[in-house]
Amino acid sequence: MAKIIVSDSPHIKGPRTTKGIMIDVIIALIPAFVMGCVFFGVKALFVVALACVTSVLTEFVFLLIQKKKISDILKEFDFTSLVTGMLLGLTLSSEVPFYVPILGSIFAIAVIKMLFGGTGKNIVNPAIAGRIFVFIAFQSVMISGYVLPSINAITSSNQILGGATPLTSMLNGGPNLSNLDLFLGTGVAGCIGETSKAALLLGAIYLVIKRVINWKWPILYIVTTGIMAVILDKFNLSAFLPSILSGGLFLGAIYMATDYVTTPSTDKGCYIYFTALGILTAVLRYATKIEVVSFAILLMNLVMPLLNFRPRAFGEISSWQKFKQKLSHWQSRRAK
Amino acid sequence: MAIKGRKIFQPGIKIPDMKYLTEDKPIEQMPAPKTVYISMSQGIGAAAKPIVSVGDRVKKGQKTGQADGVVSANVFASVAGTVTAIKDIQNPNSKATTKYVVIENDFSEEEEFLPPLKEITKETIIERIREAGIVGLGGAGFPTAVKLSGQKPVEMLIVNGAECEPYLTCDYRLMMENSDEINKGIRYVAQALGVTDIRIGIEENKPKAIEKYKKVKDFQLFSLKKKYPQGSEKTLIAECARRKVPWGKLPIDIGVVVINVATAFTVYQAVEKNIPLYERVLTVAGKGVDNPRNLRVRIGTKTQDIIEYCGDINKDAVKIVRGGPMMGKAMHTVDGYTKKTDSGIVVLTAEETNTSKQSACINCGRCAKKCPMHLMSMKFDEYASIGRFDMAERFGVMNCLECGCCSFVCPAKRSIVQSVVLCKQKIAAKKGGK
Repeated sequence: MAKIIVSDSPHIKGPRTTKGIMIDVIIALIPAFVMGCVFFGVKALFVVALACVTSVLTEFVFLLIQKKKISDILKEFDFTSLVTGMLLGLTLSSEVPFYVPILGSIFAIAVIKMLFGGTGKNIVNPAIAGRIFVFIAFQSVMISGYVLPSINAITSSNQILGGATPLTSMLNGGPNLSNLDLFLGTGVAGCIGETSKAALLLGAIYLVIKRVINWKWPILYIVTTGIMAVILDKFNLSAFLPSILSGGLFLGAIYMATDYVTTPSTDKGCYIYFTALGILTAVLRYATKIEVVSFAILLMNLVMPLLNFRPRAFGEISSWQKFKQKLSHWQSRRAK
Repeated sequence: MAIKGRKIFQPGIKIPDMKYLTEDKPIEQMPAPKTVYISMSQGIGAAAKPIVSVGDRVKKGQKTGQADGVVSANVFASVAGTVTAIKDIQNPNSKATTKYVVIENDFSEEEEFLPPLKEITKETIIERIREAGIVGLGGAGFPTAVKLSGQKPVEMLIVNGAECEPYLTCDYRLMMENSDEINKGIRYVAQALGVTDIRIGIEENKPKAIEKYKKVKDFQLFSLKKKYPQGSEKTLIAECARRKVPWGKLPIDIGVVVINVATAFTVYQAVEKNIPLYERVLTVAGKGVDNPRNLRVRIGTKTQDIIEYCGDINKDAVKIVRGGPMMGKAMHTVDGYTKKTDSGIVVLTAEETNTSKQSACINCGRCAKKCPMHLMSMKFDEYASIGRFDMAERFGVMNCLECGCCSFVCPAKRSIVQSVVLCKQKIAAKKGGK
C-alpha cells in the first residue's frame, strides 16, 4: 500500500487547472498571431517572440530572487506570463524598435504582476499596463509606426509606412475602408494581432467551446461600443460596423477584458463592468480621436473591486422585499 | 407518475457518479467481528453515558449507552459477549478523543431487543424512535426523534432517496431490496408527524428505483436531475416542495421534515421488529479496493476488518475516505470504527483523487457560479487566509453546506471547504465566548 494522504474534502476534483486554461488562451491566440505574421512578416514574429521570452524570463528571475528552487519553478510554471507576453506583443506595431517589447514586458511582469504578489494578485491586466507604459514612454514610435500589410510581406521588404490606422483616420474624418477588409484585416494597418477580426473570432469560438470565457461578456462589450458610437455619431447607423471592426476592440474584448483576475467574479458585476467598458470606449474614442480600448480596460480594472457584488443567496429575501418589510415595520411603529 | 424535479436549484455540478462499481451488488451480511468498539458519540449532540461496566455480559441489542440530554441518542451493543474495556480512543480524523465500549464477541448471538409496542400511535412511535437510538443515517446524524417531536406545524414529509454522492449505492440497494419495509417506515414517520403529503425524491440515474416507486400510490414521486448536491436537504426541498429554506432557518420553519430512506428502514425495524439500531448498510467502493460491495455491518466494526473482508487495499490506493468522496473525511489510518452515520468507505487511487498542490486564486468565479447556496466561495478562502472571519460571516459563510462544489471546480485546486470549516469554527468560538 502506498502512502495514505489525508486532506480536506472533496476527495475528487475536476480536471480543469490554471495551466490548462492558460494553454487554451495561448491556443486561441495562435490564429491571430499567424495572421499577424502573414500580414506583417518576420518583424511581427520577432516582436511577439521577444515579448514572450522577456516576460517568462522576468518571471523566472523574480522567482529566483524569492529563493525558489529551479525544479519547483518549472513544475509550478502556469503559462500566465507567456499569455501576458503574447498579448503584449500582439498589441504592438511590427515596426517598433526591439527595446519596446522588452521594456513593456519587463514593466508588465515585474511591476504589475510580481510586485503585487504574482499570479492572481495583479490589480490591472499586466499586458494592458505594459502596452500603456510603452505607449506613453515611446509615443512617437507608437503612433506613427504602423505599416500597411501585404500578403507577400514575408518575402518582400518594400513596405509602405501607413502612418495611421483606419480607426485613427476614420476618427479624424479620413476615408473609410470597406467592412469586409476590416473584418479580414487585408490592407489594414495596425497592431500585429488586432487587424484580422476573423482570426480573433476563431480564437473566441475556441475559448467559448472550451468554456474558458463566457460568450456574453465580449458580445456585451462590443455591442455596447457599437451602439454608443451610433449614438455619438448622431444616430448614424452606418457607424456601427466600422466602429466595432476597427482598432483593438476585438482583441481587447475577447482576450483582455475577460481576464479573470481583473473582472468581477459574479454575473451582476459583470453586466455593469462590460456595459461601462463599452460606453467608456466609445466616448473616449469620440473625445480623444485615438485608439483607447486599452485605456478603457485599465480604468475599469481599477474600479473592478467596487463591482464585486454579492449575489442574492439561496433563500435570502430580495432587497425589494427587505425594503417592504422595513416599511411595514415602520408603519406599524407609527400606528402605535 | 413521476413528477420531474422543479429545477429550482440551478447551479451544482455534474460529477461522474462511479456507481457502476457496486450498483448491482446485493447487500451482504458481513460476519460479526471478534471485537467491536462502540463509540458513545455517534452523531450530532451530546455523547451517551456508558451504562455497562467492564466484565459485564451483554446481549446483542442491549443498551450500552444512555442518551445524555435531549439532543443525544442511545447506543446499543451490536454483538453478544463480554465488555472488556471502556476507554478513550482518539478519533480517526482529529485530536479529540471519544469514549468507546469494547465488547469481545462470544458468537452466541443472544438477542435482547426492545419490548413490543402495545399500540402504534403518534406518541409511541416517537418514543420508540428515541428509545431505539435512531439518528439521521444520511451523514449528519441528527437524532430523528428530536426532528419529529418539534413544536412547529409540519405539512410535508420529504424522503431523501437522491443519494447524490458518487460511489455510494447503499441507499439504492436498500430501496431495491427492502422497499416494502422502507415504505412502512415512511408511513410510521408520517403518522408520527400527522402529515399525509409524502414526497420522495430519487435521482434520474437510478431508473429501477424510480420504476419501483411509481407503483406506490400514496407517495408523490419526484425524479430529480442527476446533479450534485441534489440530495442535500435544502436543495431537495427546493426541488420537491418548491420552497426555499430562508437564510439561517431550518426546514422545520417552512413546515417540511426530510428523512433518509435508510432512516425510514430503521424506523420500520424499531417499530415492527423491535430491533434497535445496531447495524447499518454501507458501501465499500473505489478502485483502491479489490471487491467493492454493499455490506450490512455491525456498528463498531473496525474499518480494517471491513476492507479486508472486501479483499484488501490495492498497492496504488492513496486515500481512505469515510463517507462519500465529496463530503467524507479522509482517514490517516484504517483503525477507525464504524458509526451509525457512516454511509461508506471509499478507497481512492491516485488517478481518481486529485493530489495536485493548490496554487493562487485567479478569481475566475467558477466557485461562485457553481455554489448551490449562491455564495461567493472565493471570499471565504481569501478572508480565512487573512483572518477576517467577521467579513466571511458577512458574506454568509454560516449558510455554506460544505458540499464541496467550489473545491471540485476550482482550477487552482484551492481547499475552499477547509477555509469554510475554519471560518465556522472561529465564528462559533467567538459567539460562544460572548
